[in-house]
Amino acid sequence: MMELLHEWLIAPFDYGFMRRAAVAGLALSLAAPPMGVFLMLRGMSLIGDAMAHAILPGVALGFLLAGFSLPAMSLGGVLSGLLIAVLAGSVSQMTGHREDSAMASFFLISLAAGVMLVSLGGSSVDLTHVLFGSILAVNSTALVLIAAISSVIVITLALIFRALVVECLDPLFLRGQGKQGSLVHGIFLGLVVLNLTAGFQTLGTLMAVGLMMLPATTARFWSKRLEGLIIIAIMLAVFASLGGLLLSYHLSVPSGPAIILLAGVGYVLSALLGRHHSLRAKLRRHAVPLGTPETH
Amino acid sequence: MTETPPSRLELHDLQLAQANRTVLEHVSGRFRDGAITALVGANGAGKSTLIQGIMGMLRPVAGRVVCTAPKERRAWLPQQLALDLTFPMSVEELVMTGSWPSHGALTGYCARHYRRGREVMARLGISHLAHRPLGELSGGQRQRALIGRTLMQEAELLLLDEPFANVDAETVEVLMTVLRDMAAEGATIIVVLHDMEQLARLAEEVVVLTGGHARWTTAQALLQSQPAHLGSARLALGIPGIDA
Repeated sequence: MMELLHEWLIAPFDYGFMRRAAVAGLALSLAAPPMGVFLMLRGMSLIGDAMAHAILPGVALGFLLAGFSLPAMSLGGVLSGLLIAVLAGSVSQMTGHREDSAMASFFLISLAAGVMLVSLGGSSVDLTHVLFGSILAVNSTALVLIAAISSVIVITLALIFRALVVECLDPLFLRGQGKQGSLVHGIFLGLVVLNLTAGFQTLGTLMAVGLMMLPATTARFWSKRLEGLIIIAIMLAVFASLGGLLLSYHLSVPSGPAIILLAGVGYVLSALLGRHHSLRAKLRRHAVPLGTPETH
Repeated sequence: MTETPPSRLELHDLQLAQANRTVLEHVSGRFRDGAITALVGANGAGKSTLIQGIMGMLRPVAGRVVCTAPKERRAWLPQQLALDLTFPMSVEELVMTGSWPSHGALTGYCARHYRRGREVMARLGISHLAHRPLGELSGGQRQRALIGRTLMQEAELLLLDEPFANVDAETVEVLMTVLRDMAAEGATIIVVLHDMEQLARLAEEVVVLTGGHARWTTAQALLQSQPAHLGSARLALGIPGIDA
Protein backbone atom coordinates (compact mmCIF):
# COMPACT_ATOMS: atom_id res chain seq x y z
CA MET A 1 0.00 0.00 0.00
CA MET A 2 2.75 2.41 1.05
CA GLU A 3 4.68 1.50 -2.06
CA LEU A 4 1.67 2.26 -4.23
CA LEU A 5 1.18 5.62 -2.52
CA HIS A 6 4.87 6.39 -2.95
CA GLU A 7 4.73 5.44 -6.60
CA TRP A 8 1.67 7.65 -7.22
CA LEU A 9 2.36 10.65 -5.03
CA ILE A 10 6.11 10.94 -4.41
CA ALA A 11 8.05 9.14 -7.15
CA PRO A 12 6.97 11.50 -9.99
CA PHE A 13 8.76 14.32 -8.18
CA ASP A 14 12.11 12.53 -8.57
CA TYR A 15 12.17 14.19 -11.97
CA GLY A 16 13.49 17.77 -12.09
CA PHE A 17 10.78 18.99 -14.48
CA MET A 18 8.08 17.74 -12.09
CA ARG A 19 9.74 19.45 -9.10
CA ARG A 20 9.99 22.74 -11.00
CA ALA A 21 6.39 22.40 -12.13
CA ALA A 22 5.29 21.73 -8.54
CA VAL A 23 7.12 24.80 -7.20
CA ALA A 24 5.67 26.97 -9.99
CA GLY A 25 2.21 25.63 -9.20
CA LEU A 26 2.64 26.32 -5.47
CA ALA A 27 3.88 29.87 -6.10
CA LEU A 28 0.88 30.60 -8.32
CA SER A 29 -1.45 28.92 -5.83
CA LEU A 30 -0.36 31.34 -3.11
CA ALA A 31 -0.75 34.50 -5.21
CA ALA A 32 -3.67 33.85 -7.55
CA PRO A 33 -6.55 32.74 -5.25
CA PRO A 34 -6.58 35.87 -3.01
CA MET A 35 -6.82 37.98 -6.18
CA GLY A 36 -9.68 35.76 -7.34
CA VAL A 37 -11.49 36.19 -4.01
CA PHE A 38 -11.38 39.99 -4.32
CA LEU A 39 -12.41 39.87 -8.00
CA MET A 40 -15.38 37.70 -7.04
CA LEU A 41 -16.37 39.93 -4.11
CA ARG A 42 -16.20 43.01 -6.34
CA GLY A 43 -18.52 41.33 -8.88
CA MET A 44 -15.65 41.28 -11.37
CA SER A 45 -15.26 37.51 -11.83
CA LEU A 46 -15.23 37.81 -15.62
CA ILE A 47 -12.80 40.75 -15.63
CA GLY A 48 -10.00 38.25 -14.91
CA ASP A 49 -10.93 36.43 -18.11
CA ALA A 50 -10.95 39.70 -20.05
CA MET A 51 -7.54 40.65 -18.65
CA ALA A 52 -6.16 37.23 -19.59
CA HIS A 53 -6.97 38.04 -23.21
CA ALA A 54 -5.57 41.54 -22.83
CA ILE A 55 -2.04 40.28 -22.12
CA LEU A 56 -1.99 38.16 -25.29
CA PRO A 57 -0.92 40.84 -27.86
CA GLY A 58 2.02 41.85 -25.63
CA VAL A 59 3.10 38.25 -25.15
CA ALA A 60 2.86 37.72 -28.92
CA LEU A 61 4.83 40.88 -29.65
CA GLY A 62 7.54 39.80 -27.19
CA PHE A 63 7.61 36.43 -28.94
CA LEU A 64 7.91 38.07 -32.39
CA LEU A 65 10.73 40.40 -31.32
CA ALA A 66 12.79 38.13 -29.05
CA GLY A 67 11.69 34.59 -29.88
CA PHE A 68 10.72 32.26 -27.04
CA SER A 69 12.14 34.53 -24.33
CA LEU A 70 10.07 34.42 -21.16
CA PRO A 71 11.24 37.82 -19.78
CA ALA A 72 10.45 39.55 -23.11
CA MET A 73 7.07 37.86 -23.41
CA SER A 74 6.23 38.59 -19.76
CA LEU A 75 7.19 42.26 -20.08
CA GLY A 76 5.09 42.51 -23.23
CA GLY A 77 2.19 40.85 -21.44
CA VAL A 78 2.33 43.21 -18.45
CA LEU A 79 2.54 46.32 -20.67
CA SER A 80 -0.26 45.15 -22.94
CA GLY A 81 -2.50 44.18 -19.99
CA LEU A 82 -1.98 47.50 -18.23
CA LEU A 83 -2.55 49.42 -21.48
CA ILE A 84 -5.84 47.64 -22.14
CA ALA A 85 -6.98 48.19 -18.52
CA VAL A 86 -6.20 51.94 -18.77
CA LEU A 87 -7.84 52.19 -22.22
CA ALA A 88 -10.98 50.40 -21.05
CA GLY A 89 -11.15 52.64 -17.96
CA SER A 90 -10.64 55.80 -20.06
CA VAL A 91 -13.26 54.83 -22.68
CA SER A 92 -15.68 54.01 -19.87
CA GLN A 93 -15.10 57.40 -18.19
CA MET A 94 -15.24 59.32 -21.49
CA THR A 95 -18.41 57.71 -22.82
CA GLY A 96 -20.17 56.96 -19.55
CA HIS A 97 -20.51 53.31 -20.60
CA ARG A 98 -19.95 50.65 -17.97
CA GLU A 99 -16.34 49.49 -17.59
CA ASP A 100 -17.23 45.86 -18.34
CA SER A 101 -18.61 46.70 -21.80
CA ALA A 102 -15.45 48.64 -22.69
CA MET A 103 -13.37 45.78 -21.30
CA ALA A 104 -15.34 43.20 -23.33
CA SER A 105 -14.70 45.17 -26.52
CA PHE A 106 -11.00 45.53 -25.86
CA PHE A 107 -10.41 41.93 -24.87
CA LEU A 108 -11.96 40.67 -28.11
CA ILE A 109 -9.72 43.05 -30.08
CA SER A 110 -6.75 41.87 -27.98
CA LEU A 111 -7.46 38.20 -28.56
CA ALA A 112 -7.71 38.68 -32.33
CA ALA A 113 -4.56 40.85 -32.41
CA GLY A 114 -2.61 38.37 -30.30
CA VAL A 115 -3.56 35.32 -32.36
CA MET A 116 -2.79 37.27 -35.57
CA LEU A 117 0.66 38.30 -34.26
CA VAL A 118 1.63 34.78 -33.15
CA SER A 119 0.42 33.31 -36.46
CA LEU A 120 2.48 35.83 -38.43
CA GLY A 121 5.72 34.89 -36.71
CA GLY A 122 5.39 31.32 -35.53
CA SER A 123 3.79 27.95 -35.97
CA SER A 124 0.60 26.54 -34.53
CA VAL A 125 2.74 24.79 -31.88
CA ASP A 126 3.92 28.22 -30.62
CA LEU A 127 0.36 29.46 -30.61
CA THR A 128 -0.76 26.45 -28.59
CA HIS A 129 2.05 27.05 -26.10
CA VAL A 130 1.10 30.70 -25.59
CA LEU A 131 -2.60 29.98 -25.34
CA PHE A 132 -2.44 26.88 -23.15
CA GLY A 133 1.05 26.97 -21.56
CA SER A 134 3.23 24.09 -20.55
CA ILE A 135 3.91 23.74 -16.87
CA LEU A 136 6.11 20.69 -17.43
CA ALA A 137 8.46 22.80 -19.57
CA VAL A 138 9.14 25.43 -16.87
CA ASN A 139 12.90 26.05 -16.66
CA SER A 140 14.87 27.68 -13.83
CA THR A 141 14.61 31.20 -15.34
CA ALA A 142 10.85 30.87 -15.66
CA LEU A 143 10.64 29.51 -12.12
CA VAL A 144 12.53 32.47 -10.66
CA LEU A 145 10.31 34.87 -12.61
CA ILE A 146 7.11 33.15 -11.45
CA ALA A 147 8.30 33.06 -7.82
CA ALA A 148 9.39 36.73 -7.94
CA ILE A 149 6.09 37.92 -9.44
CA SER A 150 4.10 35.84 -6.95
CA SER A 151 6.11 37.33 -4.05
CA VAL A 152 5.52 40.88 -5.32
CA ILE A 153 1.79 40.16 -5.56
CA VAL A 154 1.51 38.71 -2.04
CA ILE A 155 3.50 41.58 -0.46
CA THR A 156 1.62 44.32 -2.35
CA LEU A 157 -1.70 42.70 -1.52
CA ALA A 158 -0.73 42.69 2.17
CA LEU A 159 0.12 46.41 1.94
CA ILE A 160 -3.18 47.42 0.33
CA PHE A 161 -5.31 44.78 2.07
CA ARG A 162 -7.26 47.06 4.42
CA ALA A 163 -7.81 49.75 1.79
CA LEU A 164 -8.97 47.06 -0.64
CA VAL A 165 -11.41 45.61 1.90
CA VAL A 166 -12.88 49.03 2.69
CA GLU A 167 -13.00 49.92 -1.03
CA CYS A 168 -14.89 46.70 -1.77
CA LEU A 169 -17.23 47.08 1.20
CA ASP A 170 -17.98 50.80 1.15
CA PRO A 171 -16.22 52.96 -1.47
CA LEU A 172 -17.86 56.13 -0.11
CA PHE A 173 -16.25 55.58 3.31
CA LEU A 174 -12.84 55.48 1.65
CA ARG A 175 -13.57 58.61 -0.40
CA GLY A 176 -14.80 60.37 2.72
CA GLN A 177 -11.34 59.87 4.21
CA GLY A 178 -9.81 61.60 1.21
CA LYS A 179 -8.25 58.29 0.17
CA GLN A 180 -7.93 57.52 -3.51
CA GLY A 181 -10.25 54.59 -4.14
CA SER A 182 -9.34 54.68 -7.82
CA LEU A 183 -5.65 54.30 -6.91
CA VAL A 184 -6.39 51.16 -4.88
CA HIS A 185 -8.53 49.86 -7.76
CA GLY A 186 -5.72 50.60 -10.25
CA ILE A 187 -3.06 48.84 -8.14
CA PHE A 188 -5.37 45.86 -7.76
CA LEU A 189 -5.95 45.59 -11.54
CA GLY A 190 -2.17 45.89 -12.03
CA LEU A 191 -1.70 42.92 -9.68
CA VAL A 192 -4.28 40.93 -11.66
CA VAL A 193 -2.29 41.58 -14.85
CA LEU A 194 0.98 40.62 -13.12
CA ASN A 195 -0.56 37.43 -11.82
CA LEU A 196 -1.86 36.41 -15.23
CA THR A 197 1.55 37.13 -16.73
CA ALA A 198 3.14 34.80 -14.16
CA GLY A 199 0.55 32.18 -14.99
CA PHE A 200 0.69 32.21 -18.77
CA GLN A 201 3.98 30.28 -18.96
CA THR A 202 2.56 27.42 -16.95
CA LEU A 203 -1.13 27.40 -17.79
CA GLY A 204 -1.30 29.63 -20.85
CA THR A 205 -3.03 32.97 -21.21
CA LEU A 206 -6.46 31.36 -21.47
CA MET A 207 -6.24 29.07 -18.47
CA ALA A 208 -4.16 31.20 -16.07
CA VAL A 209 -7.38 32.81 -14.92
CA GLY A 210 -8.71 29.36 -13.91
CA LEU A 211 -6.35 29.04 -10.95
CA MET A 212 -7.42 32.53 -9.90
CA MET A 213 -11.19 32.21 -10.12
CA LEU A 214 -12.18 28.55 -9.61
CA PRO A 215 -10.70 28.17 -6.10
CA ALA A 216 -12.23 31.53 -5.13
CA THR A 217 -15.73 30.70 -6.39
CA THR A 218 -15.46 27.24 -4.79
CA ALA A 219 -14.44 28.69 -1.41
CA ARG A 220 -17.70 30.70 -1.34
CA PHE A 221 -19.52 27.40 -0.72
CA TRP A 222 -17.47 26.72 2.42
CA SER A 223 -16.92 30.02 4.24
CA LYS A 224 -18.69 33.28 4.96
CA ARG A 225 -15.58 35.02 6.22
CA LEU A 226 -12.98 36.83 4.15
CA GLU A 227 -10.01 35.13 5.82
CA GLY A 228 -11.76 31.78 5.46
CA LEU A 229 -12.40 32.39 1.76
CA ILE A 230 -8.76 33.24 1.12
CA ILE A 231 -7.32 30.31 3.09
CA ILE A 232 -9.73 27.77 1.57
CA ALA A 233 -9.11 29.13 -1.94
CA ILE A 234 -5.34 28.79 -1.49
CA MET A 235 -5.70 25.22 -0.17
CA LEU A 236 -7.91 24.29 -3.13
CA ALA A 237 -5.44 25.83 -5.59
CA VAL A 238 -2.53 23.93 -4.02
CA PHE A 239 -4.53 20.70 -4.19
CA ALA A 240 -5.56 21.32 -7.81
CA SER A 241 -2.00 22.23 -8.86
CA LEU A 242 -0.30 19.20 -7.32
CA GLY A 243 -3.18 16.83 -8.08
CA GLY A 244 -3.41 18.03 -11.67
CA LEU A 245 0.33 17.56 -12.15
CA LEU A 246 0.18 13.98 -10.85
CA LEU A 247 -2.83 13.18 -13.02
CA SER A 248 -1.02 14.65 -16.00
CA TYR A 249 2.04 12.50 -15.24
CA HIS A 250 0.22 9.22 -14.65
CA LEU A 251 -2.50 9.52 -17.29
CA SER A 252 -0.38 11.26 -19.94
CA VAL A 253 -2.81 14.15 -20.32
CA PRO A 254 -1.93 17.86 -20.76
CA SER A 255 -0.99 19.38 -17.38
CA GLY A 256 -2.74 22.79 -17.66
CA PRO A 257 -6.22 21.43 -18.43
CA ALA A 258 -5.72 18.67 -15.81
CA ILE A 259 -5.07 21.30 -13.10
CA ILE A 260 -8.01 23.49 -14.09
CA LEU A 261 -10.37 20.52 -14.56
CA LEU A 262 -9.46 19.24 -11.09
CA ALA A 263 -10.28 22.68 -9.68
CA GLY A 264 -13.51 22.48 -11.72
CA VAL A 265 -14.43 19.14 -10.12
CA GLY A 266 -13.91 20.81 -6.73
CA TYR A 267 -16.30 23.60 -7.77
CA VAL A 268 -19.05 21.23 -8.94
CA LEU A 269 -18.79 19.04 -5.81
CA SER A 270 -18.87 22.13 -3.59
CA ALA A 271 -21.91 23.52 -5.42
CA LEU A 272 -23.66 20.25 -4.61
CA LEU A 273 -22.35 19.53 -1.11
CA GLY A 274 -20.85 22.77 0.26
CA ARG A 275 -21.70 24.27 3.65
CA HIS A 276 -23.26 27.49 2.36
CA HIS A 277 -25.48 28.25 -0.65
CA SER A 278 -25.03 24.71 -2.06
CA LEU A 279 -27.80 22.36 -3.15
CA ARG A 280 -27.38 20.43 0.12
CA ALA A 281 -27.62 23.66 2.14
CA LYS A 282 -30.78 24.66 0.26
CA LEU A 283 -32.44 21.30 0.94
CA ARG A 284 -31.46 21.23 4.61
CA ARG A 285 -34.33 22.24 6.91
CA HIS A 286 -32.49 23.35 10.01
CA ALA A 287 -32.38 26.51 12.08
CA VAL A 288 -30.53 27.46 15.23
CA PRO A 289 -33.03 27.83 18.13
CA LEU A 290 -33.71 31.29 19.54
CA GLY A 291 -31.35 32.31 22.32
CA THR A 292 -28.42 30.24 21.06
CA PRO A 293 -25.19 32.26 21.38
CA GLU A 294 -23.76 33.20 17.99
CA THR A 295 -20.33 31.94 17.06
CA HIS A 296 -17.83 32.85 14.34
CA MET B 1 -19.84 91.92 22.81
CA THR B 2 -20.63 88.19 22.58
CA GLU B 3 -17.87 85.72 21.93
CA THR B 4 -18.17 83.71 18.70
CA PRO B 5 -18.65 80.02 19.57
CA PRO B 6 -15.94 77.70 18.23
CA SER B 7 -16.56 76.11 14.84
CA ARG B 8 -14.51 73.58 12.95
CA LEU B 9 -16.70 73.91 9.85
CA GLU B 10 -17.37 77.18 8.02
CA LEU B 11 -18.84 77.87 4.58
CA HIS B 12 -17.79 81.00 2.73
CA ASP B 13 -20.00 82.23 -0.15
CA LEU B 14 -20.26 78.66 -1.42
CA GLN B 15 -21.68 77.84 -4.84
CA LEU B 16 -22.28 74.17 -5.67
CA ALA B 17 -23.49 72.66 -8.95
CA GLN B 18 -24.52 69.25 -10.24
CA ALA B 19 -24.09 68.57 -13.98
CA ASN B 20 -23.30 72.25 -14.66
CA ARG B 21 -26.55 73.38 -13.00
CA THR B 22 -26.22 75.53 -9.88
CA VAL B 23 -27.95 73.88 -6.94
CA LEU B 24 -26.85 76.23 -4.13
CA GLU B 25 -25.25 79.66 -4.16
CA HIS B 26 -24.05 82.31 -1.73
CA VAL B 27 -24.09 79.83 1.14
CA SER B 28 -22.23 81.29 4.09
CA GLY B 29 -22.35 80.23 7.70
CA ARG B 30 -20.71 78.26 10.49
CA PHE B 31 -21.67 75.04 12.26
CA ARG B 32 -21.18 75.25 16.01
CA ASP B 33 -18.93 72.66 17.65
CA GLY B 34 -20.76 70.42 20.08
CA ALA B 35 -24.14 71.16 18.50
CA ILE B 36 -26.50 69.11 16.36
CA THR B 37 -27.61 71.05 13.28
CA ALA B 38 -30.57 69.84 11.24
CA LEU B 39 -30.47 70.32 7.48
CA VAL B 40 -33.97 70.68 6.08
CA GLY B 41 -35.45 71.35 2.69
CA ALA B 42 -37.68 69.84 0.03
CA ASN B 43 -36.49 67.05 -2.24
CA GLY B 44 -33.99 68.54 -4.68
CA ALA B 45 -33.30 71.56 -2.45
CA GLY B 46 -29.62 70.62 -2.29
CA LYS B 47 -29.20 68.82 1.04
CA SER B 48 -27.17 65.93 -0.35
CA THR B 49 -25.27 68.35 -2.62
CA LEU B 50 -24.27 70.45 0.40
CA ILE B 51 -23.12 67.35 2.28
CA GLN B 52 -21.03 66.25 -0.70
CA GLY B 53 -19.52 69.73 -0.87
CA ILE B 54 -18.66 69.67 2.85
CA MET B 55 -17.08 66.20 2.54
CA GLY B 56 -14.94 67.43 -0.37
CA MET B 57 -16.53 65.06 -2.86
CA LEU B 58 -18.00 67.87 -4.92
CA ARG B 59 -15.71 70.70 -5.94
CA PRO B 60 -17.31 74.13 -5.34
CA VAL B 61 -17.90 76.33 -8.40
CA ALA B 62 -17.10 79.30 -6.18
CA GLY B 63 -16.43 80.00 -2.51
CA ARG B 64 -14.88 77.56 -0.08
CA VAL B 65 -15.42 75.10 2.73
CA VAL B 66 -13.10 75.58 5.69
CA CYS B 67 -12.95 72.47 7.87
CA THR B 68 -10.34 72.10 10.59
CA ALA B 69 -11.35 68.53 11.53
CA PRO B 70 -8.72 66.05 10.30
CA LYS B 71 -9.91 63.90 7.40
CA GLU B 72 -9.73 60.70 9.43
CA ARG B 73 -12.13 62.25 11.94
CA ARG B 74 -14.79 63.14 9.36
CA ALA B 75 -17.61 60.65 8.97
CA TRP B 76 -20.48 60.54 6.51
CA LEU B 77 -23.49 58.26 6.56
CA PRO B 78 -25.21 58.70 3.20
CA GLN B 79 -28.86 57.93 2.57
CA GLN B 80 -28.10 55.70 -0.39
CA LEU B 81 -25.57 53.32 1.05
CA ALA B 82 -22.79 52.10 -1.16
CA LEU B 83 -22.29 49.28 1.35
CA ASP B 84 -21.95 45.86 -0.29
CA LEU B 85 -24.13 43.68 1.91
CA THR B 86 -22.87 40.48 0.28
CA PHE B 87 -19.32 41.22 1.46
CA PRO B 88 -18.26 38.57 3.99
CA MET B 89 -17.87 40.80 7.01
CA SER B 90 -19.31 40.64 10.52
CA VAL B 91 -20.75 43.50 12.57
CA GLU B 92 -17.65 43.57 14.78
CA GLU B 93 -15.36 43.76 11.74
CA LEU B 94 -17.42 46.63 10.27
CA VAL B 95 -17.25 48.54 13.55
CA MET B 96 -13.49 47.94 13.72
CA THR B 97 -12.96 49.46 10.24
CA GLY B 98 -13.80 52.81 11.88
CA SER B 99 -10.40 52.78 13.56
CA TRP B 100 -8.64 52.02 10.29
CA PRO B 101 -8.23 55.62 8.95
CA SER B 102 -6.21 56.69 11.99
CA HIS B 103 -4.71 53.28 12.68
CA GLY B 104 -2.81 52.82 9.45
CA ALA B 105 -2.64 50.12 6.83
CA LEU B 106 -0.29 47.64 8.42
CA THR B 107 -0.55 47.74 12.21
CA GLY B 108 -2.66 44.98 13.66
CA TYR B 109 -5.46 45.62 16.15
CA CYS B 110 -4.48 45.12 19.78
CA ALA B 111 -6.61 44.17 22.78
CA ARG B 112 -7.34 47.87 23.47
CA HIS B 113 -8.96 48.29 20.03
CA TYR B 114 -11.09 45.17 20.43
CA ARG B 115 -12.11 46.30 23.92
CA ARG B 116 -13.18 49.67 22.53
CA GLY B 117 -15.06 47.92 19.71
CA ARG B 118 -16.97 45.84 22.28
CA GLU B 119 -17.77 48.98 24.30
CA VAL B 120 -19.12 50.70 21.19
CA MET B 121 -21.30 47.70 20.30
CA ALA B 122 -22.60 47.51 23.89
CA ARG B 123 -23.47 51.22 23.79
CA LEU B 124 -25.52 50.62 20.65
CA GLY B 125 -27.11 47.40 21.93
CA ILE B 126 -25.62 45.21 19.21
CA SER B 127 -23.15 43.11 21.24
CA HIS B 128 -25.19 39.98 20.55
CA LEU B 129 -24.82 40.60 16.79
CA ALA B 130 -21.02 40.94 16.86
CA HIS B 131 -20.36 37.88 14.71
CA ARG B 132 -23.40 38.14 12.45
CA PRO B 133 -22.73 38.82 8.75
CA LEU B 134 -23.83 42.25 7.49
CA GLY B 135 -26.18 40.70 4.93
CA GLU B 136 -28.25 39.14 7.73
CA LEU B 137 -29.00 42.41 9.56
CA SER B 138 -32.25 44.37 9.58
CA GLY B 139 -32.23 48.03 8.48
CA GLY B 140 -32.15 49.25 12.09
CA GLN B 141 -29.37 46.86 13.13
CA ARG B 142 -27.31 47.91 10.12
CA GLN B 143 -27.77 51.59 10.99
CA ARG B 144 -26.59 50.92 14.55
CA ALA B 145 -23.51 49.10 13.24
CA LEU B 146 -22.71 52.01 10.89
CA ILE B 147 -23.04 54.53 13.73
CA GLY B 148 -20.74 52.19 15.67
CA ARG B 149 -18.15 52.64 12.95
CA THR B 150 -18.30 56.43 13.33
CA LEU B 151 -17.98 56.07 17.13
CA MET B 152 -14.93 53.89 16.58
CA GLN B 153 -13.62 56.58 14.24
CA GLU B 154 -14.01 59.13 17.09
CA ALA B 155 -15.54 61.44 14.50
CA GLU B 156 -15.24 65.17 15.14
CA LEU B 157 -17.49 65.98 12.18
CA LEU B 158 -20.43 63.69 11.50
CA LEU B 159 -22.85 64.12 8.59
CA LEU B 160 -25.94 61.93 8.45
CA ASP B 161 -28.45 61.84 5.60
CA GLU B 162 -31.84 60.79 6.96
CA PRO B 163 -30.43 58.38 9.55
CA PHE B 164 -33.85 57.44 10.95
CA ALA B 165 -35.51 56.50 7.65
CA ASN B 166 -36.84 52.91 7.67
CA VAL B 167 -35.56 52.36 11.19
CA ASP B 168 -37.57 50.98 14.13
CA ALA B 169 -38.60 53.23 17.05
CA GLU B 170 -36.21 51.59 19.54
CA THR B 171 -33.26 52.14 17.21
CA VAL B 172 -34.28 55.80 16.75
CA GLU B 173 -34.13 56.25 20.54
CA VAL B 174 -30.72 54.55 20.82
CA LEU B 175 -29.26 56.55 17.92
CA MET B 176 -30.62 59.86 19.25
CA THR B 177 -29.01 59.19 22.64
CA VAL B 178 -25.67 58.32 21.04
CA LEU B 179 -25.75 61.41 18.78
CA ARG B 180 -26.56 63.68 21.75
CA ASP B 181 -23.67 62.12 23.69
CA MET B 182 -21.30 62.65 20.75
CA ALA B 183 -22.35 66.30 20.51
CA ALA B 184 -21.90 66.72 24.28
CA GLU B 185 -18.36 65.40 23.83
CA GLY B 186 -17.72 68.19 21.32
CA ALA B 187 -18.49 66.66 17.90
CA THR B 188 -20.06 68.77 15.17
CA ILE B 189 -23.10 66.90 13.89
CA ILE B 190 -25.18 67.73 10.82
CA VAL B 191 -28.31 65.67 10.22
CA VAL B 192 -30.66 65.75 7.24
CA LEU B 193 -34.15 65.46 8.71
CA HIS B 194 -37.70 65.54 7.38
CA ASP B 195 -39.54 64.79 10.58
CA MET B 196 -40.52 67.75 12.77
CA GLU B 197 -40.84 65.68 15.93
CA GLN B 198 -37.37 64.22 15.48
CA LEU B 199 -36.01 67.68 14.69
CA ALA B 200 -37.58 69.09 17.85
CA ARG B 201 -36.05 66.35 20.00
CA LEU B 202 -32.59 66.30 18.45
CA ALA B 203 -31.46 69.54 16.84
CA GLU B 204 -30.49 72.86 18.36
CA GLU B 205 -29.75 74.69 15.13
CA VAL B 206 -31.30 74.39 11.70
CA VAL B 207 -30.17 75.22 8.18
CA VAL B 208 -33.11 75.62 5.84
CA LEU B 209 -32.43 75.15 2.13
CA THR B 210 -34.88 76.76 -0.29
CA GLY B 211 -34.58 78.33 -3.72
CA GLY B 212 -30.87 77.57 -3.92
CA HIS B 213 -30.08 79.47 -0.72
CA ALA B 214 -29.41 78.54 2.89
CA ARG B 215 -30.79 80.21 5.99
CA TRP B 216 -29.46 79.57 9.49
CA THR B 217 -31.98 79.55 12.32
CA THR B 218 -32.57 77.80 15.64
CA ALA B 219 -34.77 74.76 16.11
CA GLN B 220 -36.86 76.74 18.58
CA ALA B 221 -37.51 79.55 16.10
CA LEU B 222 -38.40 77.09 13.36
CA LEU B 223 -40.78 75.16 15.60
CA GLN B 224 -42.51 78.34 16.75
CA SER B 225 -43.24 79.11 13.13
CA GLN B 226 -44.79 75.64 12.68
CA PRO B 227 -48.31 74.70 13.78
CA ALA B 228 -47.96 72.41 16.81
CA HIS B 229 -50.44 69.88 15.47
CA LEU B 230 -48.06 68.97 12.64
CA GLY B 231 -46.54 66.54 15.14
CA SER B 232 -44.47 63.97 13.36
CA ALA B 233 -45.61 65.12 9.90
CA ARG B 234 -42.87 65.60 7.41
CA LEU B 235 -41.64 69.14 6.94
CA ALA B 236 -43.61 70.68 4.13
CA LEU B 237 -41.54 73.31 2.40
CA GLY B 238 -43.49 76.34 1.45
CA ILE B 239 -45.08 76.61 4.90
CA PRO B 240 -44.77 80.28 5.97
CA GLY B 241 -41.80 80.71 8.25
CA ILE B 242 -39.61 78.14 6.54
CA ASP B 243 -39.10 79.96 3.29
CA ALA B 244 -36.06 82.18 3.28
